[in-house]
Amino acid sequence: MRSRPTAIPAIATAIALAMPAAAQLPAAQLSAAPAAVPARPASAPEDASGAPAPRLYQIEKIEIRGLSHAHESAVRSRLLLTEGDLLDEEKVLLSRLRLLQLGWFSRVETRVERGSARGLVVLVFEVDERNTLLVSDLILGSTPAQPIYGGFGLSQQNFLGRGLGMSGAFVYGGPPSGRPGDPDRFALRATFFAPDLELPHLPRLVAGASALWLRGEEFTCTTPDCSEADHHYGSAPRLRYERIGGEATIGFRPGPFERIMGGYRLEHLHGAFLAGTTAPGKLPDLRAGDSLLAALTGTWELDTRDDFFFPREGLRTVAQITFASHILGGNYEYSRYYLQLETAYALFGKPLRLQLAVGAAQGDAPFFDRFYAADFMYFAIGPALGRALELNFSTDSRYDAFLGMAGIEYAVPLWRGSGFFRRGYLAIGARAVYSSAEPGAGRTTVSKWPFSAECALRLDTPVGFFNASLGYLVDIVL
Amino acid sequence: MSRSAARPRPGAFLAAAALLAAHGAAAAEPLAAAISVRGGRLVASLDLSSAFPPQSERTFGNGLTNVVALHVTLAAPGEPPAALTGRVIDILFDVWDETYAVTTREPNAPGGVRTVLPDYAALRAFLAYPRDVDLGPASSLPQGSFVVEARVDVNPVSQELLERTREFIANPSATQRPGGSRSVLGAMASFLLREPETGGGVHVFRSRPMAPAEVTGR
Repeated sequence: MRSRPTAIPAIATAIALAMPAAAQLPAAQLSAAPAAVPARPASAPEDASGAPAPRLYQIEKIEIRGLSHAHESAVRSRLLLTEGDLLDEEKVLLSRLRLLQLGWFSRVETRVERGSARGLVVLVFEVDERNTLLVSDLILGSTPAQPIYGGFGLSQQNFLGRGLGMSGAFVYGGPPSGRPGDPDRFALRATFFAPDLELPHLPRLVAGASALWLRGEEFTCTTPDCSEADHHYGSAPRLRYERIGGEATIGFRPGPFERIMGGYRLEHLHGAFLAGTTAPGKLPDLRAGDSLLAALTGTWELDTRDDFFFPREGLRTVAQITFASHILGGNYEYSRYYLQLETAYALFGKPLRLQLAVGAAQGDAPFFDRFYAADFMYFAIGPALGRALELNFSTDSRYDAFLGMAGIEYAVPLWRGSGFFRRGYLAIGARAVYSSAEPGAGRTTVSKWPFSAECALRLDTPVGFFNASLGYLVDIVL
Repeated sequence: MSRSAARPRPGAFLAAAALLAAHGAAAAEPLAAAISVRGGRLVASLDLSSAFPPQSERTFGNGLTNVVALHVTLAAPGEPPAALTGRVIDILFDVWDETYAVTTREPNAPGGVRTVLPDYAALRAFLAYPRDVDLGPASSLPQGSFVVEARVDVNPVSQELLERTREFIANPSATQRPGGSRSVLGAMASFLLREPETGGGVHVFRSRPMAPAEVTGR
């Protein structure tokens, strides 16, 4: 009798009765000596209807057909069967679904073909590879102080065909407005991620590394909109700074939907205050001259969502702690705590999504490790604008030590199909954001109102997920 | 292609049939159906040939268990089903014997009835033209006109099974800091797990309105 997924114990008994000699041989031995398998596998007894039950076969060979980019060993490592195993249909099905869910293939079919002798079969996986090079960032923005800036990012989800993640992104703003001779402002980021790292004598690990090179400026006017500069932003005082560094992380997966990671972050920082023609306000937190930031990070991620684009069930939670200290080799002594929670579009049985974020930074955290409230708002009424790859092109340089955000989004699915725009939905959302420079300081009025709203068309395409956001347009205008 | 782990249970027939009644009407294909009364029971003969084209031999001949679930309802227009039934068929092509082992389970044969068909032509005839589908007692026949609907699921994959194979749906960089940038066209990647294309098929058929007088053997 052939293995039946829904009645495994009974089948195990039947197998033992039907072919005890083969069943008692280790799989490797069977593979090495196929002659040990009966030339015609024993059949299970006929059933009441008189028809013979299906027979049990041994996998002589596993073939994966249709690979062009993905590495065969990376694909085989996801299979639940190996050559020499008895053909187990449940494992075949689960293997096929695992391959589908990797995201590397648009189609995975399985079939069995005759092997070299009766009783042996070839298990075939036929695959069609899909595009795994995706647009990760596409940025276009404008502020009064920076007429135009933009950026682009790509992410390869199956780097070298081995399931590794590799991505890179940049943002370019050119020289500051009114100061054509000054250095360009830009941000470059590269990340590498190994979601499933096999090392001898260790459980499966996850590992990652990132590098960042950023050159930016923060205005240090006395007012958030630098009104005293009267639109001549080249004469406004500013902090010019540069960050070069990276982070290495390693962790493990306590469950299929969880990751726990620890990392070491090291950045070389350089800050210089440039006086303008107007009086300077408060300087963003950063040491003048050269300094080092050295920190340990700990991150716990839980992601049970069923779909990245339009999840209908599940939850995503990220908790991150950053601890920077002199004892790690840096010049900054601070800690940072951040918790983010996002449900699927399934709240109260409706296509509603809840979003929560809370954060705190203690000690002398540099400004970029504090919280910029506009990053968490759909739009801010005022000069602040959400940053691009951590570059701030607005005149508002108020970074806070405490942050709380709560939001809700309602989704209206619009279509799904097989064209370039595979799926689309309309997202209508509202958020409230509270941030404070220090305990008891009251809300920082990065936005005149703590509330913001969104109406966005979200599109799922073969090259990435796009978000045409009315909230962002409003943010630029306001 | 093997989907037997997702095999519908006979006990789920009624619920599935009720779902069939609620299924959207847009995708329905025309159904040629003949209803008769035999031994006090309503039985149906159906033409589902468009669900089993000749090229599906590649699917059913893949050497792994394939599952076909058939749900049939009979209802007056706009009314809940007056009669309904379900049938689950497991098909396994033996690559060495080159025969099709077929197991059919119905409410009156929950343990299944096994048969062996010699070739794909015989299998297709068996699947595409089901005979003697028991819809229940003849007394359930509506007084007025009625419509026969059939739903054919080829290799359904259960949500539970997808859940078992799902892990992290995205692999964002472990070092990427929470709260990213955004823009008018802010794109994000790593959306890799859409609903996987599991390759199964669903066909919905609906007959023309039929009159009770068309039921033979009454």
